[in-house]
Formats: sequence, structure tokens, C-alpha cells
Amino acid sequence: MYLLIVYDVDVNRVNKVNKFLKMYLHWRQNSVFEGEVSISQFKKLKSGLKDITNEDKDSILIYNLKDRKNFKLEVIGIEKNPIELIL
Amino acid sequence: MKDPLYITSHGILQRKGNTLYFVNEEGKKALPINRINEINCYGKVSLKSGASSLLMKEGIPVNFFNMYGYYEGSLYPRVQLNSGLVVVQQSQHYSDPEKRAVIAAEIVEGIKNNILKTLRYYLKKGKDVEPYIQDIEKEVIKGDVAQIMSNEGRIWHSYYQSFNKILKNFEMDKREIRPPTTEINALISFGNSLLYVSALSEIYHTYLHPSVSYLHEPAERRFSLALDIADIFKPVIVERVIFKLVNNNMLTEKDFNHDVGVLLNEKGKRIFLKEYQAKLETTIKHPEIKRKVSYKYLMRLECYKLIKHVLGDKEYRSFRMWW
Repeated sequence: MYLLIVYDVDVNRVNKVNKFLKMYLHWRQNSVFEGEVSISQFKKLKSGLKDITNEDKDSILIYNLKDRKNFKLEVIGIEKNPIELIL
Repeated sequence: MKDPLYITSHGILQRKGNTLYFVNEEGKKALPINRINEINCYGKVSLKSGASSLLMKEGIPVNFFNMYGYYEGSLYPRVQLNSGLVVVQQSQHYSDPEKRAVIAAEIVEGIKNNILKTLRYYLKKGKDVEPYIQDIEKEVIKGDVAQIMSNEGRIWHSYYQSFNKILKNFEMDKREIRPPTTEINALISFGNSLLYVSALSEIYHTYLHPSVSYLHEPAERRFSLALDIADIFKPVIVERVIFKLVNNNMLTEKDFNHDVGVLLNEKGKRIFLKEYQAKLETTIKHPEIKRKVSYKYLMRLECYKLIKHVLGDKEYRSFRMWW
């Protein structure tokens, strides 16, 4: 499944969430991550995020796009971090 | 599906926050460790000790290539799938000449079939490859391993000769390596070394021992089983990528360095890698397991079939293109 994750969390936890998500997804720009995950990774990701964050105060949106083909990305301005596995 | 990471530029891989960072002059890039299954380094890449221990823990092999694109070696994680039984049986099939010839012949049959499929595809498209097809069809694969290897040599020879008919530009004179002397030789060498490591990383995920092989001699310092597996898939993956890149003018003179021999430059390597990776991820419906599998996974299936064969479960039948 292809995920787009957007988060808005307390400043004390921003770095924790950022570090955690970097293990699974590509960092797109501040508080936005994107990438393909397997079903088991998706479960680990969700439970990991629940452990880090405070569900009463923080907000994380997970867009489950199923497939990379289902959407088209358009960029206005600079693209901070193109997803690349050929460096 | 996890993807391989290719690094063509120079830089340092380091561990930070339990994931991998690639640092070079352009900056720092975080790489999701859980999305990577192997790393192939074509540039000058340094690994910090933190990074290497993380990669070994996660079971991600790192393959190194020199500036000519030749495989130099791997940082190979502790073997996680160990089965003494499979290794013993695998070795017995090697040391018994008759049993070995059975597997070797089957591999060459696979190569022959896949080459013919590729050539027939181009025959349909109006390329004059008929004589080469006839040459290859004439080869009868039988006898001991030495005879089978000479069969294989002749098949490859006719096949490489046919390139002049298929390719729109660049000439194929004869196959030459170390260093390749023409553009096509450079492309074949680069593609083959890529396929070799792809096969190796698939073998890593099975119980097979990567250096006990059947068609190739299990030479020292090399994982020769990967060569066996890779050979079957060369016409399906490497050559098709080359034909596409050359005939669509995606690669031109400018993408090569003419120095000692001819080699792809960094931009050319990137173009090739992108196309190669797309090819590996192409999926096809498998008639037996009845679901879509990628070309890369077909190599894994090849390993599973070999395991079944050496354990005496089911006779090995090499991969033949069915489409």
C-alpha cells in the first residue's frame, strides 16, 4: 500500500515522529512523508506512532492511497526531496 | 516490495536515528531502512561502522563495483537461512557428474529457449534474425558438463552475432570484456554485473549455498550459483533493456566515456539503472502459482525449484518464457 502521512504534533514530539517515520517512508518535506509499505510494516508503523504520540493532543493523518498509480503529484515551487533510490 | 538502492555518486553512508543517511556534497538524504533490500555501490562509497552494523542486523547485503562497473565484492550479512541438509544435497548433486549434467543441461535449455523467444519477437517486428534462430535451434544439448558448456558457448555466440540486425545504432563486433571495447559490450557487461547481484540477493533469501553451482565451475572468490541463475534471465532482462535503450535513442554516444575501452559514464549508468529496475519490477501472471509475480521474483522461484530438485521432491525444470 502507498501511504501519505501528514502530522501536526506537539513540538516536543516532532523530532521523535520524524525520526521514526524516516525508518519506513521517504521524507517529503516538513511533517510530510510518503512511500510504499507492506501490510505488516503498516501495522508496525501505526502502533509505533501510537506509542510515541499523545492521542489527546496530537494529530496524524494517514492517507492510504493503495497504489502509486492512483494519484498524480504536482509540485509548485521547489521540490525539496525527490523520492529516489538511484543516487 | 522492497527495492534496491543504487549509488552512483560519491559519499558516505551513516547511521542516524536507527536509519540510514547518505551524505555527500549536495547534502544529506535520509533513506528508509525498511524499504531497502540491497545496496549497490558504483561510486566511491564509505560505510561508517554504525551503518554497516545496522545493515548486517537488517540483513541487507552491500555490493561494490569498481569504476568499470565490474563486481568487486559484497558485504554479506550473516546467513540467516541455514540448512545443512540442503547444502549437503546441493553439493552431492555437484560432485556426481551425472546429476550435475542433468541440472546443467536444464539450465542451458532455459537459456536457449529464452534466447529463441527474444529473437522470434524481433523476427516478428521485421528484423532479419532468421539464420541465427536456425543456428541456435540446431544445438542439441546433451553429454557431459564440458559438452553442455560448449553448447552454451555456441548459443551465446550466435545470439551476440544477431545484435547487429536488431540494434539501430552501435555495432556489435564480438563480445569483449575487461575492458569492453565497444558501446554494446559495455552495456552487456554492465547489465550482466547488475543481474549477477540481483540473482545473488535472491539466493541469499533461500537455503541454497551461493557458491555451489552446476553449469559454471564453483570457482573460488565467486558466488557462481548466482552466475548460473543469472544466465537464464539475461535474454529476458538485460538484453531487452539494452535493445530498448539503444533503439529508442535513450542512450547515445554522449553517455559513454571513451578512455581505456568504452564505459558508461555516470549519467549513462543512471539511465540504464532506471530502466533495469523498471524491468525487474515488471509483473507477469504466473500460470502455476496463479498470481502476478515480478521478474525479480522469478529468480527466487528458480532457487526454490533447485531446492526441490536436490531434495528429490520435484524434478527441476528451468524457467522458460511462456509469454
